[in-house]
Amino acid sequence: MDNHKGRKDTLRRNIKLVAAFLAVMLILLTGCMGGGKSEPGGGGSGGGGSGGRTSASGLDISQRVELQFYMLGDAPVDLPLIEAEINKMLVEDLNATVKFNFTTWTDWEQKYRLLLTSGQPVDLIFTAEWTQYQAYAKNGAFLALDDLLPKVAPKLYAFVPQEMWDAVRIDGKIQTVPATWKEYVTFGNVWREDLREKYNLPIPDSLENVEKFLAGIKQNEPDMIPLAANGLFHTPGYYDFKYEPAGVASYGFPYGLYIPYDDPSNVQQFWGSERHLEDLLVMKRWMDNGYISRNVLTTQDTAHTMLVTGKSALMMGDNPNRWNSTNQDMKSTHPDWELGYYPYPLKKGYATPVHPIHNGFAIPISSQNPERALAFYELMVTDKRYNWLTQYGIEGTHFQVTEDGYYEGLSDSFKREGMNGWAWRNPEYMLFDESFEAVNEIFHELDKIAKPDIFTGFAEDWTPYQAERAALEQVRQQYLHPLEVGLVDDVEAGLRTFMEKAKEAGLETIQKSYTEQWLNYLKEAGIQ
Amino acid sequence: MFLMLLPTLLFFLINSYVPMVGIYFAFTRYNFADGLFGSPFVGFENFRFLWQSGKLMQLTLNTIGYNLAFIVLGHTLAIVCAILLSEIGARFFKKLAQSIMFLPYFVSFVLINVIAYNLLNYDTGFINSLLVRWGMEKLDFYSIPWIWVFLIIFFYLWKYLGYYAVIYLAVITGISDEYFEAAKIDGANIFQRIWYITVPMLRPTFIILLLFSLGSIMKGQFELFYQLVGNNGLLFNATDILDTYVYRSIKVTFDIGMATAAGLYQSLFGFVLIMTVNYIIRKVNEDYALF
Amino acid sequence: MKVKDAEYSLLFKTIAYVMVTIFTLVCLFPVLLIISGSLTDNETIVRNGFGLIPEKFSLDGYMYVFKYPTAILRAYGVTIFTTVVGTALGMFFITMAGFVLQRKDFKYRNQFAFYIYFTTLFGGGLVPWYIMLTKYMKLMDTYTVLIYPGLMTPFLIILMRSFIKSAIPDELVESAKIDGANDFRIYWSIVLRLSMPGIATVGLFLALQYWNDWFLSSLFINDTRKYQLQFYLYNIINTVQFIRDMAISSGVSIGNPPTEAMRMAMSVVVTGPIVFLYPFVQRYFVKGLTIGAVKG
Repeated sequence: MDNHKGRKDTLRRNIKLVAAFLAVMLILLTGCMGGGKSEPGGGGSGGGGSGGRTSASGLDISQRVELQFYMLGDAPVDLPLIEAEINKMLVEDLNATVKFNFTTWTDWEQKYRLLLTSGQPVDLIFTAEWTQYQAYAKNGAFLALDDLLPKVAPKLYAFVPQEMWDAVRIDGKIQTVPATWKEYVTFGNVWREDLREKYNLPIPDSLENVEKFLAGIKQNEPDMIPLAANGLFHTPGYYDFKYEPAGVASYGFPYGLYIPYDDPSNVQQFWGSERHLEDLLVMKRWMDNGYISRNVLTTQDTAHTMLVTGKSALMMGDNPNRWNSTNQDMKSTHPDWELGYYPYPLKKGYATPVHPIHNGFAIPISSQNPERALAFYELMVTDKRYNWLTQYGIEGTHFQVTEDGYYEGLSDSFKREGMNGWAWRNPEYMLFDESFEAVNEIFHELDKIAKPDIFTGFAEDWTPYQAERAALEQVRQQYLHPLEVGLVDDVEAGLRTFMEKAKEAGLETIQKSYTEQWLNYLKEAGIQ
Repeated sequence: MFLMLLPTLLFFLINSYVPMVGIYFAFTRYNFADGLFGSPFVGFENFRFLWQSGKLMQLTLNTIGYNLAFIVLGHTLAIVCAILLSEIGARFFKKLAQSIMFLPYFVSFVLINVIAYNLLNYDTGFINSLLVRWGMEKLDFYSIPWIWVFLIIFFYLWKYLGYYAVIYLAVITGISDEYFEAAKIDGANIFQRIWYITVPMLRPTFIILLLFSLGSIMKGQFELFYQLVGNNGLLFNATDILDTYVYRSIKVTFDIGMATAAGLYQSLFGFVLIMTVNYIIRKVNEDYALF
Repeated sequence: MKVKDAEYSLLFKTIAYVMVTIFTLVCLFPVLLIISGSLTDNETIVRNGFGLIPEKFSLDGYMYVFKYPTAILRAYGVTIFTTVVGTALGMFFITMAGFVLQRKDFKYRNQFAFYIYFTTLFGGGLVPWYIMLTKYMKLMDTYTVLIYPGLMTPFLIILMRSFIKSAIPDELVESAKIDGANDFRIYWSIVLRLSMPGIATVGLFLALQYWNDWFLSSLFINDTRKYQLQFYLYNIINTVQFIRDMAISSGVSIGNPPTEAMRMAMSVVVTGPIVFLYPFVQRYFVKGLTIGAVKG
């Protein structure tokens, strides 16, 4: 075995192979790059125009197209039925069919991202501030609808009030169609009213009373964990209750900056301040007294489950609608229990109705049929047949209307708003469950003190500090969260450590840039 | 003969090599208008978040440390188990044991988390209930970081023991009885037979499995860590690996640049490691090397 | 001498039985918890955790799972289909590749092994692969997309290669060649039969991979009729996770979230059948198939 020669041979062979391989790759690469650019939208509907049909608004619909409609969550069991009914009508009206797709809740953020990034044809997709509408819009993921709306969906354009159109503008362009039903998703306290009466505890309408309530429960029901908390579920509620900020981000204040509602240009440093320390000490007290579960950061149960099964007695930070559903849930297994509700706005003195961005539908730039898609969406919202089919199902099979005009569900295969139709609700056609009256009452109360939401319309551009932001996220989870649930023994030292680490991660860079952007937004939006 | 290999080659070309162009994204700042290839080039900006937090070294050490423990303990235990199983005569017991030991592999990590929580939680956990019944203090497992090093390794072993043991058992089954007979006649006792025949026969398989494990060493075992630790910040220092760190950071943004950048770092590390180890193995015995 | 060996053997066998029993119990315990949990009333689970014996027996979890039996049956159908087809096809390609790669007379075997292995080290990431499958190959919502990506895994190919290498002596292949057989025939008649333990093992892993897959369904399947079993399970679990993580910010209300008991029941239903595949496959882990092949 001539090893030396053998090795040289192998080397030569290897080089040849690698060269051949690279050549193949290069060819493929150029092919990919050519076709790689995402096709700009507005590919338009039927090109021909050869003696074609036109829709009511003069849209050329000579070619049959299939629209891809994407919604979050799970598909209702009877979706195929509904889809068939809709398509029967749609073929007549717009010479199109629609396919309803649901992302399920498994990995939905990933899927949402892929749907928009991959450039595959998607005609309509759900948007909300919690799906990062503002960021995607700023980055150009959606089609600008300003010109399209009056042309192909004039009814829809007139239906949505001008303030709502303006409220969803990002970079001056309308990029989504907002839902028009005014609701409140403001926070409030939810508690076991039957227990409160039983033990003669105060109504949790202030922080002191909340604490007294928790103490009372702890005393009288030693097996319960007074506060229904999972992770930091209760934190936004707590801060909202105490401080009246302009807006509360998922875990409290955005990057630790406190922006008071009444004085929005006065951006204050919250993290690391005396106030922060006070609040953390309160949390520690709650934890030490056993009001919060020691495993709050890892528990598998949702806060709702804890209430409904009787494991806990108080929840901070829930909205009226959910309070109602939780109450209904609970009563199905424990009819003698009752849940009370106290909305924070009553104490704060003002209530912000849901921002138009909260539920919307947009057209991604990869759409092949944007005009037809928009016209279809107009039908979904303004045409009662389409609206009722997709919100409530088939009348007689899935639901019926009671004499008092309430909704009554008939089948589990399609429940009320079974397609998660929050975005295309039409207040004029909406049907409510009888139990919803309780929520409506609360809404009426809140209407009296309604004031606009000045926070959600702000589109933060985090690209200048995205590395710091990612690093800060880590630091927050590791050092701040345990503090905020009272799991750290030495709160002062813990807070100091957190601030140090946060600064290392670049907190000041983030805060500076964010504050600049926020003040700019205030100026442009004309808010004091 | 080459023809028989062709479908495989084509498969990997399309499925893995072509998408590799995506590595380019690690160096761009994506925006929708320009699409994937038109987005501006930003050099190493996307990698910045990796060292911004100063945790890179610790994450790398954690990842390597855990993986070494997994590999060494996992394979040793699996080999021992396979050998023990192969020597058991009672067929029914053997079959039963094998099947049961394989069960954990089917249990997804989500469920493992549920079980772990059920065993370890402070309020109603199984272990804590026992402690209380015996008159002892409850333990708050979820606040004690160092216990989790052992717990994570334990759950990993629990899940994969059966899986690896099956592989080794298959190899052992394939060893010709002749070798053992001959050894017996020569006077070797059972321990000697195992040490001098079985173990060496398992060596090639072990090396292959080792190389695979090393290659993905930087990729950790995401599901395992993420499910067990979740968002419990108290445990991060002891249990965070590169994967979970990246996942948490990326979750708040949709930027594919950063995700690709992180993936690239992990791959590069594993690549260098493998090439080195394979080279060493090739020197020792060419047959054992992966390539 | 003989006596000593018998003693050692006995000692060893005792150790073997004891240790294996311990391992088995440890493996079994958590599984029993899951089964028990699936039969417990949900409220009891939330308030008191679950134990080996259900505190308060209840079939609610299973009733929820079987509420829409057609959906579950269809998911079973889809999963069985993809598993069977995928495993059969995959095994065909994997064994061929494994055989070729271990042949000492194949000049480029090391290079190709590296080519295959390299894909585990580097990757372009999720996005380009996703784009490739959806935009260029148009595989969204098809059965193909559930089968195709899993057909060949580098790990299994290399594993197969070593199994074949240790099971088939070179002389055997030589003599067959001398007898005039071409490569494919050798592969078909000899290799497949003699590497049974290896094939059984790799086949099992491949089948498991298909059975347990949910990722492909999550990314590419929108049609509920094509959902795979594991994806079903994941959906249920993830709805709860969504509520847990996003509930505050989204204000979304999802009535009747699935309970703990339901999740446990779902897991049992989804995992149950495949567990029985393993004892079935064990038949092939039989010694001595190689003996006589060379001698004869």
